Amino acid sequence: MTEFDWTQLLDYALMGMLLAVGIAIVRLRNLFAAVMLAGVYSLISAAWFVTLDAVDVAFTEAAVGAGISTVLMLAAMLLTAREAEPVKAIRHWAALIVVSVAGAALFYAVGDMPVYGDPNSPANAYVGMDYITSTPNDIAIPNVVTAVLASYRGFDTFGEVVVIFAAGLGVMLLLGLNPGKKTGGEE
Amino acid sequence: MMEWANLGAVLAMALAMAIMLGRLFAGPSLYDRVLAANSFGTKTVLLLLIFSLLVGRADGVDIALLYALINFIATIAILKFFRFRSLEISLAQMSLRRAIDGDDD
Amino acid sequence: MDILLLIRDIASIALLAVGVLFVLAGAIGVIRLPDFYTRIHAAGVTDTLGAELIVFALMLQAGFTLLAAKLLLVGFILFLTSPTATHAVANAAHRAGLNPLLSRHQPPHPRDTETGEKS
Repeated sequence: MTEFDWTQLLDYALMGMLLAVGIAIVRLRNLFAAVMLAGVYSLISAAWFVTLDAVDVAFTEAAVGAGISTVLMLAAMLLTAREAEPVKAIRHWAALIVVSVAGAALFYAVGDMPVYGDPNSPANAYVGMDYITSTPNDIAIPNVVTAVLASYRGFDTFGEVVVIFAAGLGVMLLLGLNPGKKTGGEE
Repeated sequence: MMEWANLGAVLAMALAMAIMLGRLFAGPSLYDRVLAANSFGTKTVLLLLIFSLLVGRADGVDIALLYALINFIATIAILKFFRFRSLEISLAQMSLRRAIDGDDD
Repeated sequence: MDILLLIRDIASIALLAVGVLFVLAGAIGVIRLPDFYTRIHAAGVTDTLGAELIVFALMLQAGFTLLAAKLLLVGFILFLTSPTATHAVANAAHRAGLNPLLSRHQPPHPRDTETGEKS
């Protein structure tokens, strides 16, 4: 028997915690608890990304998901009530059926994916190998992910920045976040 | 031998995180939940530190450093939000409201 | 040099074990203790001490490199921010009116006793 990889136990523990937190977010009605649990969910995801060796993604998830997103959702909770309204039982069952069907379809599709870390998979063999071999010559920075995001696929990143900027502008225009015109500003 | 010690420490830290989740689910007041979330964040920072030394990849320490700071700032932001009902008020307004409330810190 | 490495390994394992033990004890305390202010004691004190012991153990393992400097920085930040956050939560809870759990046994006040024992 091949040697058992003991760090799998950490993966199982983190995924078990993710499952528990996910179920708790759905079942709790106290909105504040749901927001805190969403922040904890992002944090466990960040730790799990580190165990999967994806350090850049973990960095972003920890900074955005666990920190800023929690505080922004709490500020949004200021505008609503503290408890969620009760939902009828039939909607619970309908949602469970939809989620189960979609989850089963995803599990079936995972069986067709290449082995984790396979060097001959289509993602790693053609364009990926090209990027890895030509990054030291063309761009000369050590991180290939940064080279792909900022240089080889720079227009994608540019489009994402434009979309996020437009979304932020739209939210500010809709909510009227203008600090000069708060209560008592005009006599 | 060090790998087994690090592995045992990582699994024990994951167990402590899972135990802390119990207080997040059950805490009757919201300050219980803020306490549990802050403590959970500190335990995750420690888990990331031990794990980085277990696999020998030093990038996890950067993420642990980042999250140690963000955890603190998020906790203080949540408490400020619940005291003053807004995140936008300035330091001068905060001390004015505290003086009006008769705060004797 | 071999004995020095052995001493370093033993010290690291001992510090790691004690630190993890503190963190586990704090976690168990937060679930089992009856009141919010008692739970603050468990979480705040044991988190800081356990974190510092674990960081020292990892610094012994890392040797004299940049990694040890980063670990020292994380340890320093945890040392400053963890007690501050604990105090902030306890202060906010007290300001908001969360009262501590007092015991049900109330000893009789001296003015209620029969004999006039006033000093």
